[in-house]
Amino acid sequence: MTRAISRTILGFVVAGFFWFSYQSVSQVYPFNWKVIPRYYKLFLEGLVTTMELSVIALGFAVLIGVLVALARTSKSVLLKDAGTLYVWFFRNMPLLVVILLVYYGFGSTVNIDRFWAGVLSLSLFEGAYVGEIFRAGIEAVPSGEIEAGEAMGLYRRQIMFSIVFPQAFRISIPPLIGQLVSLVKDSSLVSVIALGDITMRARQVGTQTLAVFEAYLILAGCYLLITSTLSLLGRFLERRMVIP
Amino acid sequence: MKDKEILRIENLSKSFGELKVLKDVSFEVRKGDVIAILGPSGAGKTTLLRCINRLVDPDSGQILFGGNPVKSDRKSIRHFRSKVGFVFQRFNLVSHLRVVDNVALPLVKVRGENWRKAREIAAKQLGQVGLSDKITNYPSQLSGGQQQRVGIARALVMEPAIVLLDEPTSALDPSLVGEVMRVIKRLSAEGRTMIIVTHEVGFARNIASRVLFMKDGLLINDTIPEDFFESEDSEITDFLTDLSAIV
Repeated sequence: MTRAISRTILGFVVAGFFWFSYQSVSQVYPFNWKVIPRYYKLFLEGLVTTMELSVIALGFAVLIGVLVALARTSKSVLLKDAGTLYVWFFRNMPLLVVILLVYYGFGSTVNIDRFWAGVLSLSLFEGAYVGEIFRAGIEAVPSGEIEAGEAMGLYRRQIMFSIVFPQAFRISIPPLIGQLVSLVKDSSLVSVIALGDITMRARQVGTQTLAVFEAYLILAGCYLLITSTLSLLGRFLERRMVIP
Repeated sequence: MKDKEILRIENLSKSFGELKVLKDVSFEVRKGDVIAILGPSGAGKTTLLRCINRLVDPDSGQILFGGNPVKSDRKSIRHFRSKVGFVFQRFNLVSHLRVVDNVALPLVKVRGENWRKAREIAAKQLGQVGLSDKITNYPSQLSGGQQQRVGIARALVMEPAIVLLDEPTSALDPSLVGEVMRVIKRLSAEGRTMIIVTHEVGFARNIASRVLFMKDGLLINDTIPEDFFESEDSEITDFLTDLSAIV
């Protein structure tokens, strides 16, 4: 009950703050919301592109992540080093630079579609983070349970599939959802290669209508909406997968 | 006539770095033996047990199972392990599997049983350790004593020729030791072959058929309980005095 009260108060305070700010800005910046609805198709197109890009990139990032985690936890020194090298490179490289390298660098040698250049950059980049998440998940499985599997006579592969992976996956869900939210936000950077995601579309609307502030406010709202929905979905999934 | 030999340990040695944990340990296990391994901590008891089922690879020496040396290829080790039940100090149940599936797992993965049949067998085994009403629970929902009884059921479900128990009651709250010891006692009454590393002197005295005493990686004494507890060897009397001083 006290929580409901404090939330209501907070709601009023925040709403009041924004209303006040909006009024103050209005003194010097003439808000013109009327032009925005005319461009709703452009926004929608951008939204769809952002979602497509994110979902496909997530798929590949998870795939890369699994491979990276397996390499980094494997017994082979070569695989381990290769995995470490991969993670080192992509975690120390700004995503913007990866996108530029892929599209303008790599793209100048072979013909590569903007969309797939975006997918490739995001997948490679996020794959390193997802790999680290999975690796931590694998390493968090209690070693005693692995020993129990050995003592039963299970083969290495059986131990991995029956004992390690199911638990590692559950452990990885919360940070994975966080990474997915990051991925959606990071995807805004692909607008630099004129990939028609929602960030680029908002910029277009802004320059065409001169209603720049309005367009970007809409854009901010869209990102909040997507990422919050993902977080909620993630919490639901987390609760369903929890081991009592 | 003596009972059939099940297991023979020959000249087992193991070092961790500079530290020699096992020094040339040899003994044999006959069918129906209940062997209690006693000794101060750091004596190498647990390492000995873990070397037997190859959770730890010994540096030298060999293990004969039913008269044949256990080879080091993964098929031979798998076969051998399926015949040797292992009960861990900290239970080591698989936490995302329900109790019944924990016990059914080796039947499915090693013996190739289907899950339905395996669960039936597992449920029966769990009934024998008094946990029929817990089979759909997860390990974390059980007390330590209950978890250890699941651990014992899991070790028995493959109908092993011998069961190794590594301090099965050491991690338990004192009030829960009894329920686990009762199960272990029943196993010995059923004539199961067991090696148990334990600090329960009462068990060694009253239930065990043999007592092995270890110190500093050496197997110092291998005898029947009556002789062990009457021994005048100062290392044994010191150990027993220390133990009773704690209690």
